[in-house]
Amino acid sequence: MAHFGKIMAYVLLTAFPVVLGASCFLLRKETHLVVGLSVAALMVQLALVLFMPVDRPVRLLGLTLNLDPLGRLFLAGFPAVTALMVLTTQRLPHGEHFVSIALVIIGVASAIVLLLQEPFVVALLLVSAGLLSILAIVDLPTGAPTLIAPRLIASALKYLVLMAFAGALAYMGFVLINVYRPGVFLDQIAPRIVLALMVVAFGVRIGLVPFHSWLPDLVEDASPLASALIIVVLNTTGLLFLISVFQFFPALVSENERGLQLLTWLGALAALAGSCLALVQDCPRRIIGYLVVYNAGMILFGLATTTSIGLAGAVFEALNQMLAVPLLMVSLAFLEQPNGHSLKTERRDVLWRWPLAGSGLLGSGAALVGLPPSSGFASKMLLYEVAARRGAFLLILLISSSVLAMLALARIARDWLISAPGDQPGSATPLLLGATELDLPSRRSLTPEPLIAAFVVLTFLGGILAIGLYPQPLLATIADVIRGLTFVRGEG
Amino acid sequence: MLDMHLNWTIVSLTVSSGVVLLLRDWRLTVPALSINYLSVAWFLAQQQFIEPDLAIGNLALSTTIVVKVITGLAASAILGITAITFSREYNLEDLDEFSLAELRRAARRAQRQRASEPFRFSDYVVPFWALVLAALASLTLPRLYPIGGQTVDFAWYWLGLTGLFTVVIAGDTLKIGLGLLLVVSSIDLVYTAIASTVQVFPLALLSLTTIVLSLSIAYLSGLMYGRLKTLDLGALYKR
Repeated sequence: MAHFGKIMAYVLLTAFPVVLGASCFLLRKETHLVVGLSVAALMVQLALVLFMPVDRPVRLLGLTLNLDPLGRLFLAGFPAVTALMVLTTQRLPHGEHFVSIALVIIGVASAIVLLLQEPFVVALLLVSAGLLSILAIVDLPTGAPTLIAPRLIASALKYLVLMAFAGALAYMGFVLINVYRPGVFLDQIAPRIVLALMVVAFGVRIGLVPFHSWLPDLVEDASPLASALIIVVLNTTGLLFLISVFQFFPALVSENERGLQLLTWLGALAALAGSCLALVQDCPRRIIGYLVVYNAGMILFGLATTTSIGLAGAVFEALNQMLAVPLLMVSLAFLEQPNGHSLKTERRDVLWRWPLAGSGLLGSGAALVGLPPSSGFASKMLLYEVAARRGAFLLILLISSSVLAMLALARIARDWLISAPGDQPGSATPLLLGATELDLPSRRSLTPEPLIAAFVVLTFLGGILAIGLYPQPLLATIADVIRGLTFVRGEG
Repeated sequence: MLDMHLNWTIVSLTVSSGVVLLLRDWRLTVPALSINYLSVAWFLAQQQFIEPDLAIGNLALSTTIVVKVITGLAASAILGITAITFSREYNLEDLDEFSLAELRRAARRAQRQRASEPFRFSDYVVPFWALVLAALASLTLPRLYPIGGQTVDFAWYWLGLTGLFTVVIAGDTLKIGLGLLLVVSSIDLVYTAIASTVQVFPLALLSLTTIVLSLSIAYLSGLMYGRLKTLDLGALYKR
């Protein structure tokens, strides 16, 4: 009976958001109802995750389902962060199906986390989730009078092709693991090829240089909420997937000492390349996209060290990204609203027009590049520490990439947020002979920042600052989780 | 040379995926993809990688292979129907004047482009050399990196490489989909052929992924045609 209960709990964790997503699809024209329903559903999902016991595997349809502590950490984060993003859809432009797709993706992500012991299935579920998110990318608001931008279709197509290839590579890796027999067939090359396939698949999925081209395009062209959903849920699930691959196939780590060493360098170089590319962009959205690419390099670096500190840094960084990216995207969406100037005028003082959203953008950017006292600082410090133990050059590489990323953020602030406006208020037009005040154009009255924006931005900012100022509880949880991973080496 | 005395399933598999890579007309490439799926299923049935559990007349088949045939034909049918209808029209009454004018402009542009595109042999030079490269690699790689038997290795390398090259040289959305489906078919073949224990769930999910993939391509093709009245990828980047 208890066994049946566990199975039902796992099925509920997966099916509940999917069913609610289907309901939201049917009710999609009723925005307020859908928002309320989905936020309530996500809160229930969060409670389900938090109350679910960990490490109690069960078998269903020949598959092993299990919720490990690391999986629970992220599964609790997904609905919480998504609920906040969904709240902003009341005031932000978003696709007609965004909420329903978000719920279905949360359901698929839950299935992925529960099935991490079934790599073939997880590789395919990741592809399916990627294909599903295509709908969110090309989604237009209900009754939109505009056409879809060709560049958006191009971004969606690029994402689709790359995710399909990432899935195919991961699946191929598992086929090789399946035929690999130590001491007999493919003994020498199999672990190296499998590791390479997995890392490329992972790199494509999280937007690591040189497989990153989809990410800046997506951030530039798609709705910020859709981009945030993909980066937060799907990219992070990709990290969990790679950690579980290392956990269940320890030969990939133990027989690939040189390969992993190479990966740490590749991660650091990818972070450097990402930050350099961020610095040379002109469009704020592309700069933000490349900052996420830089962060992907940092995560790979931490993971590839396979040490407890490095892995803690990578996991912490992924959690930091889960807070920073949605705040960045939500703030960006608020800042891109009509700002009181004509569309032809480039406004450079957006922070004063939208102080909360502007602060959100700066705060989340600071978290992404690791400025104190944000949560990103704590996670970056772990990565710097492990880099310092591996040599000064690696540390210099990581710090340089962070400094460049900070400069890119400073550029956004200078060009868009805190400079003098591009146009100056003109002198009042005098009344001409025979004209009355009614003949003058009416004064534009702009709405202040919506309350919901204030709530969401302050919640995210509060989370970032709280973790940044007092990271010990989260660090202790991460350390506990990592202790259970067998491939982690004791160094540090 | 490979140890393959004229194996018609391999010939059919090779020719059909070669047609997908080489030709541009969907009236030929989509049926070629269907034939490719049938050839892969025929090959798997012939090699008896999976214990037959189904008898259709004198033919002993595995249910898994029947599922693969149905999946393949469904994926081809989705792309075929998309190619025939090519339309996901906007709700015109929702659109403003500018959007309607933009749609009319796109239709005229596509019409002009179609009219100024005669058949040219030069369009087939890159696909031809890609085909040659795929053939050379598929004959060499099984010897350098053998995974299954020589025949199996040739088959999956060939499918994977023709799929990859099809995606790389594709000029339209539909062809990208055909290439991706060939790649997926390649890993499906290698998993079925060499996995020590073929599990039902991953195979079922792979079939589902194949169909979702073709649906995604169909959706994006419809969206693109509705917007630009063409599936030509170049149109996506024109200002």
